[in-house]
Amino acid sequence: MFMLEVKKVLISCGIISALAVTSGFAQAPIKANSKINVDGSVIYPHKDGKYTSYLLNEQSTNGFNQHGRTPTVNEIKAWNIDVMPDGTGLPEGEGSVELGDELYSSQCAMCHGDFGTGGKGYPTLSGGQGSLTNQLLKEGDEPPFRTIGSYWPYASTLYWYIQSAMPFANPKSLSNDETYALVAYLLSINDIEIDGVELDDEYVLNKEKFLKIKMPNEDGFYPVDPSRNDLKEVRPPLAQGTRCMSNCNAPKPVHIAAEITGFDPAISTSKKLPEMKASLTVLPGETIYNESCMACHSNDALGAPVIGDKDIWKEITSRGMDVVYLNGINGINAMPPKGGNMDLTEAQMKEVIDYIVIKSK
Amino acid sequence: MTKKEKTMNDTSINDKANSRRNFFKKSAVYSMSAIAASSIVPISKLNADEIEITQKAPWGTKLGDLVDKYAYGIPSPYEHNNVRRVHDLLSSGDRYATVSMTPHHLQEGIITPNGLFFNRSHGGTAHVDPEKFRLMLHGLLEKPLVLTLKQLKRYPSISRIYFIECPANGSTGWRGPQFNNLQFVKGMTSCAEWTGVRLKTVLDDLGLSPNAKWMLAEGSDNSEMARTIPIEKVLDDAMLVWGQNGEPLRPEQGYPVRLLLPGWEGNLNVKWLKRLEFSDKPWHTKEETSKYTMLQANGKGINYFWPMEVNSIITSPCPEVPWTDLEIGDKIEISGLAWSGRGTVKTVDISLDGGNNWVEASLKGLILPKAWTRFSYIIKWDGKKKVLLSRAIDDSGHIQPSIDKLIENVGVEGIYHRNPVIGWEVKSNGEVNNVHVRS
Repeated sequence: MFMLEVKKVLISCGIISALAVTSGFAQAPIKANSKINVDGSVIYPHKDGKYTSYLLNEQSTNGFNQHGRTPTVNEIKAWNIDVMPDGTGLPEGEGSVELGDELYSSQCAMCHGDFGTGGKGYPTLSGGQGSLTNQLLKEGDEPPFRTIGSYWPYASTLYWYIQSAMPFANPKSLSNDETYALVAYLLSINDIEIDGVELDDEYVLNKEKFLKIKMPNEDGFYPVDPSRNDLKEVRPPLAQGTRCMSNCNAPKPVHIAAEITGFDPAISTSKKLPEMKASLTVLPGETIYNESCMACHSNDALGAPVIGDKDIWKEITSRGMDVVYLNGINGINAMPPKGGNMDLTEAQMKEVIDYIVIKSK
Repeated sequence: MTKKEKTMNDTSINDKANSRRNFFKKSAVYSMSAIAASSIVPISKLNADEIEITQKAPWGTKLGDLVDKYAYGIPSPYEHNNVRRVHDLLSSGDRYATVSMTPHHLQEGIITPNGLFFNRSHGGTAHVDPEKFRLMLHGLLEKPLVLTLKQLKRYPSISRIYFIECPANGSTGWRGPQFNNLQFVKGMTSCAEWTGVRLKTVLDDLGLSPNAKWMLAEGSDNSEMARTIPIEKVLDDAMLVWGQNGEPLRPEQGYPVRLLLPGWEGNLNVKWLKRLEFSDKPWHTKEETSKYTMLQANGKGINYFWPMEVNSIITSPCPEVPWTDLEIGDKIEISGLAWSGRGTVKTVDISLDGGNNWVEASLKGLILPKAWTRFSYIIKWDGKKKVLLSRAIDDSGHIQPSIDKLIENVGVEGIYHRNPVIGWEVKSNGEVNNVHVRS
């Protein structure tokens, strides 16, 4: 019975106080003949040529797969690179913490900060263990920090995600060995041990050791095991309202404490015709800048010199443009060669550097 | 004093009348009859001649644009403010992995125009070459399958109206009201008519193993966005869609093909779809571990919770479309949107006094499962301060909770699935502000 399931889940959530109001659940009972799906939603029948208000073509829809074909073994291998918590899909390979450190410094630190401490807006990757019960209720409260070490339940996700989606501007560029190295480094900065062994610089992670990783917050989620029965239990509403119609004793309204501005474009409902924009000509290098450089050079969060900052760019160009071109092409500080976009030619790099310098005068 | 007794000399004359009076001066059509009438009827209701009627309109006295000026039509230039908006607070450091919000205050009906559909991506909008698009279905299937776009579109199609909502919609206000506009309070949802094939129709021919309990859906974009979906949803109403409001999917919505899971978290409706794999175990992708899990006050995160709960918002009035031009006694419609990812909206209640007393609003238009539903309630404006709230109920038996109830239940740290009763304060001058009714 659905009602009982809801109550059971509330208990399992440890939210005892919510039980006091379960009487409210009775106010909108589900029709007895409705079928309910795993998520608690209504399953509407396909019946009598209708699905809810939609009419159906009830002829057979079988056989359309004849238009497609069977994928080859190599095709499946090329795309099926996901890694599951039990290690299914994990390739052979190995990489050291030391190599991971190098890769991290050159390709990750510009967004995620030194040692995974985070950059403006980009995820923090380390620290935060023991903080998950924090609640930021008032100014001065510490919030919870959800990092790889404090929050992620499985290292398989880390491997798979890095390999398919990182580095942000140049994904799918890391080899299996490099990915192992980065995972090793990220575990080491989170003080995670493997099989009781601390991950020092010389530590080499491989498939065999990877399968022994247990993440600190593996048990931090429910359902613990999303088996079919367990699954049904996590389908309750997060909270169920009550339908009071009169004298409901509502609390007083709370106003906005500090109004936020900075919407882009600015909020307006004016129907006055806007003034024509002066020039829509695209400067050489602008397109490349937007596609390959903007992610780091548009603000100072990542430590990259910001486009339009006259002082910084005056200093950078003071040793001549040839030096600037060279640094751009070979990389400098946290910036990898060509900003990580190895598809760019030297001529294109010069064009985009010229563009940034023009925009910063 | 009633409105009818007002005269031009009345010091309490309202703004609307004032602006109308200035207009009369400028337009020099101040007829003798109008002056005579002004002493007995309110100036704003005078039947004075307007130049919009008495003079010829400029657009009526010359040729318009050529019929083929725009091979693909665009909105009136006057509607330049009917646009999606972004805010750096909602970004992940840049404008690739962020969200742009639908301007609900300027939307009509239950269909979001394709150019205004909210846009969330994790690595920018991918531009997939439709000739090079391939969709692979494999795993616990007797007959794995590869389809080109043309082959996929040969399947018999269905068209369904469904909303999509980011589970973080409204998350900006869980510690207190933050944004003083509708667009950023609820702009992470939109609704469209989607055309595609029911996923079950495709799977019926492929020999799905009874051990297949989960499906991985993976995109081909920069972020390879992937999510795990239980087979029950896959076989119920999941679709592979290529059409959006009568045209091919927009790139921002996953051109050429996205997964559609009616009513479930926007993030699960994987865009730029590339691969569907079937397994007996879930995958725990990045978007169901590090993100899109709900950390609660007890330090535990809820994973695998999918449907967007019953929700509603008053879209008129709202901070962007206030009642500042109303006169006391004017009739006015309160209207808004309700939706539920768990079924069909059954009832919407409205409160004018901040939740102490409620009345049932009318639902209007099409009432469809997992789709936007319009509601309406007409009042006479009395110039008295109000706090307008809406509360929706769906046919799965769920009622929007109060903010207090939701926080008591899940704390303040999980930012997803925030569907409490919210609304607006209308001040006596008709200004509208975001307020939260909470202790």
